[in-house]
Amino acid sequence: MLETTEVAASTRHRTRLRRPATRTLVRGGVIVVLLLFALLALPQLLSLYYVDAMTEVAIYAVVSLGLGVLVGRVGLVSLGQIAVLAVGAWVAARLLFATTQPYPLVLLEAGLVTMAIGTIIGLPALRLRGLYLALITLMVAGAVAIVLASTNFPNGGHGFFGYNGSLVNIPPIRRPSIATSDPAYYRYAVVVAILMFLLVFVHIRTRPGRAWSAIRQSEPAALAAGINTTMYKLWAFALASFVTGVAGGVYAGAAHYLYSIDFPAQNSIILLAVVLMGGAYSLWGAVVAGLLSQLLPALLNNWGVSNDWLTILFGIGVVQVLTTAPRGLADQVPKDLARLGLLLARLVHRPAATTAEGEAP
Amino acid sequence: MPSWQDFQPFLVTGLALGGVYALSGVGLVVLYQATGVVYLAFGAVGAMGALIAWSMISDGIADWICWLVCLLFSGAVTLAYGIVFGPLLAKREPLVKATATLGLLLVLFGAMDLLWTTSGGETRAITLPTDNSGFSIAQIQVTWTQVIGLGVGVVIAAGTAAFLRYTKLGTAMRAMANDREITATLGVPVRRVEAAAWLGCGVLAGIAGLLLADMVALDATTLTFLVISSLAAALIARLRSIALTFVAAIVVGVVQNMLVPINAVSNYNDMTPFVLAAIALLVLSRRQVLSRSREDT
Repeated sequence: MLETTEVAASTRHRTRLRRPATRTLVRGGVIVVLLLFALLALPQLLSLYYVDAMTEVAIYAVVSLGLGVLVGRVGLVSLGQIAVLAVGAWVAARLLFATTQPYPLVLLEAGLVTMAIGTIIGLPALRLRGLYLALITLMVAGAVAIVLASTNFPNGGHGFFGYNGSLVNIPPIRRPSIATSDPAYYRYAVVVAILMFLLVFVHIRTRPGRAWSAIRQSEPAALAAGINTTMYKLWAFALASFVTGVAGGVYAGAAHYLYSIDFPAQNSIILLAVVLMGGAYSLWGAVVAGLLSQLLPALLNNWGVSNDWLTILFGIGVVQVLTTAPRGLADQVPKDLARLGLLLARLVHRPAATTAEGEAP
Repeated sequence: MPSWQDFQPFLVTGLALGGVYALSGVGLVVLYQATGVVYLAFGAVGAMGALIAWSMISDGIADWICWLVCLLFSGAVTLAYGIVFGPLLAKREPLVKATATLGLLLVLFGAMDLLWTTSGGETRAITLPTDNSGFSIAQIQVTWTQVIGLGVGVVIAAGTAAFLRYTKLGTAMRAMANDREITATLGVPVRRVEAAAWLGCGVLAGIAGLLLADMVALDATTLTFLVISSLAAALIARLRSIALTFVAAIVVGVVQNMLVPINAVSNYNDMTPFVLAAIALLVLSRRQVLSRSREDT
């Protein structure tokens, strides 16, 4: 929906560079190396402060991934993903206090409960489209924020809400026994994030992904082609809610203590901004969005610069993305780099450049 | 269950709040009709205007000048955004146009947090001189500010309806609501009409910001996101009818405040706009009226 077609230009560009098979191999290799680096080397290299920040990056990359599925794949804009994250965190915290279940099971349950809630909200909302759906999610997020402010997050109390306002020694939300330290929990979060990315990747590469892109391009056409648009839209909602709920579960363990002020309404808007800036159409965009929304604030904090500058930057960024570069940074930066490389190459080999120009269509 | 006596003061505050929702809602509807933009930065612009006015009042500048600056600021920012980004995004879907105004919201929100930090825990307030004087009807205390809140809502709603119906500019706006291209072909200066709508909406944002700063709180976050409540009324009216927006705004305002004395739900009374808007949208979508909105064109 937010897309303009630059596909033709980019495919032409790609085929000229390398053959597809080599390209896939190189890409796979790069991903594996990056993952190994993120899992093994990064926690050794960084201070604890940045390890925590990178844990947040992993969590928010998954949240961005969920929103990316909705915005980039199906063309549904949700302005309430932080509320969904809060629901996931709430459910996980409640389960972690109430039971001694292993952590992965709790994450799964948090994801499933969030998925159920998201689907129940999504079912009636799917009758609405585009603008109205976005506005309804904004309203739902507002409502969830009010409910959470009033019920509070579980803090080890009893009853359904598990909140005890008079508790003096609030127990921290537990972490998995294999990952109690911050670097270990960071690795844990990255592994969970990888699993979520794989889950979404599988969806995109199979039937649902094709159905979603058909819906994004034209809903009436998708309907005419025999695609059950309601089911696939709901599926996207369910998938996005699931991964966001799991991310909420990881967040609960990372934060140890949860407060409703950790999930302010503006964060949903900032999230949409960074997802659009990162690029909603590629999985890399979600990683970029996670880095933008979590690593940059940590860096600025360290340098003593107010995060408000970042909010302003994101505001400018979202307008810029919508007006000039609809596919986001994940798409724009490599293209700009390639263009820059080409330009440099021309500067170096001036005579060669003229022949290349002659060949260019 | 509380007695009627307990509800009385909340009826008054509810009507006043409803009036402000109405004036915001009308501003949003008119802008949407003329330009196709749902102006989500409405609250942020008003909030920044109110904060500027507060700073100026603190510096000892005469109150009325500060209020005027607030309205001018909101109008100018909105107009500038409209002139720069309106044409750039004119051909995109309403969703993209609305999302772009979120960019403006973030810029203003960041700037407000930067310039008027809340970390010190200091509270700000704008008090209008009409706060302390008033009268009582049937033993209910009413301040003039509350009268202004409802009054401005009524006047703006009626005035806008009349403006759209009887003036040349209003007719042009209604024509643009139907079809921008055809309107342009007929010789209407489309850009100028749009600019007028942006300016009007911005000034209304300023008025709403000032009144809400007095009635609710002068706080960037609160005021910025109060636009959602105002939007609820506009949404119930499907972003079309001025009269329906007005009625919906009053209902939302009154219900929201009348729930306060009921203990079981008093914590959740702020959910009223969201719940009412959600129900309204779902009921309306059942009749498939939304599918014929601009989005399909």
